[in-house]
Amino acid sequence: MFFFRNYKTIVFIVILLAVIVTVLSCNLKQKSSGGLVPRIVFEIASPVQNVLNSSFKNVSDAWYRYLFLVGIEEENRNLKKAIDHMKSQLTVYQEGYLEAQRLRNLLDLKENKDFDFVIARVIGRGQTAFSQTILVNKGTADGILDGVPVTAGPGLVGRIMGASWHSAKVLPLIDENSNIDACVQRTRTQGIIRGAGSLGCTLKYIAKTQDVREGDVIITSGMGGVFPKGIMIGRVSRIDRLESGLFWKIYVAPVIDFSKLEEVSVLTSAGGGEDEVEK
Amino acid sequence: MIYYLLLPFLAILLIVLQNMVADIIFSGAMILELSIIVLVYAGFRLDLIKGSISAFVLGFVFDCISGSVLGLFALTHVLVFLFSFFVSAMLMTEKMFLIALFTFFCVTIEEFIVVIFYKLFYGFDMLPNIPAAFWLQAFIVGSLAPVFFYLMRKVEVFFYDKPAQSAKWAGTG
Repeated sequence: MFFFRNYKTIVFIVILLAVIVTVLSCNLKQKSSGGLVPRIVFEIASPVQNVLNSSFKNVSDAWYRYLFLVGIEEENRNLKKAIDHMKSQLTVYQEGYLEAQRLRNLLDLKENKDFDFVIARVIGRGQTAFSQTILVNKGTADGILDGVPVTAGPGLVGRIMGASWHSAKVLPLIDENSNIDACVQRTRTQGIIRGAGSLGCTLKYIAKTQDVREGDVIITSGMGGVFPKGIMIGRVSRIDRLESGLFWKIYVAPVIDFSKLEEVSVLTSAGGGEDEVEK
Repeated sequence: MIYYLLLPFLAILLIVLQNMVADIIFSGAMILELSIIVLVYAGFRLDLIKGSISAFVLGFVFDCISGSVLGLFALTHVLVFLFSFFVSAMLMTEKMFLIALFTFFCVTIEEFIVVIFYKLFYGFDMLPNIPAAFWLQAFIVGSLAPVFFYLMRKVEVFFYDKPAQSAKWAGTG
């Protein structure tokens, strides 16, 4: 064969193969990599392996960090979506919580009084230049009659001025058509609370000889049989002492914030009938 | 002489490198014997003694680092080299697809030798693993062989201004 032209080459190959086979046969039984030469090889290979390993690790770490950052962008986008979703859920829960608080206040009022109440939700407002009525989602089918008082949490809202089967119209006490028998809680001086629109209410027919101060609490007097006695209406906000005449002109700030009214309780057991509304 | 002094270190470097690449790419699921490509290249380019010693060192280092039976891969590597050297007399090394095919064949042969060895001497039945791992490895190594040859040809041109001829045609075999 032309590539074995050199006799020495053939001898060398034969010797090499013989050495390999000998080494192989010696190691067949123990199947171990023991011995001085393998140890030396392994000793030399270890630092090489360490260097290469750390280099590869740095490169792969950088790569994985890059991939991680790519993933982070996607994850960030998803998390923002999740946060938006949770924010909307939180708003719903907060609404529920606030509603529960309001209903609890209504319930407290209901428990404190010996009346039957129907809780109604405000579904609309009929605001005109001369009228500021409120629409609620309960009507005669729920026991609501014309003229019955309407309260909310801390105080009086007004009275029902017209009810259909499943809705009713509330005349709020700030409506200029509303007149309610009231008294000053501290002095028990009686007068009439009349609606004054955006100014709240005015307490009328209080003689100038009576002791009324700013901050005095005004409550229903129970006169006339429409409104139960002792329901809070508001506080005296200003007294116009310069006005001429026999009576003070007293401004009352309602305890109810009508712009934020969402639920009301309607007194169903009150025996309405007497007309206190001047139309 | 410098070649023989550097050979063990280069062999260690190559084996460590191929183990690491296989570990990174395949996560230890299979090995990637890039050293077979070097052996085929050596069979095509180097003379018999130089190539045999290179194959022996490469195989021995492989045995030492991989923890297999000492001498097994030294034997297979030398056999692959001799086979390549023999075939190089008949194969046109410029044809890349032949290089890929031949390398694929060499890897397969080497794997079968290892499988048969373990079956005969240790009773290990590794035949079920052949289709999944061995063919895949042979395919990958065979595919990489033309790339290696192409790069080495560029290196040869860079250092010697022209590609080195096979040992047989150079008359050094």
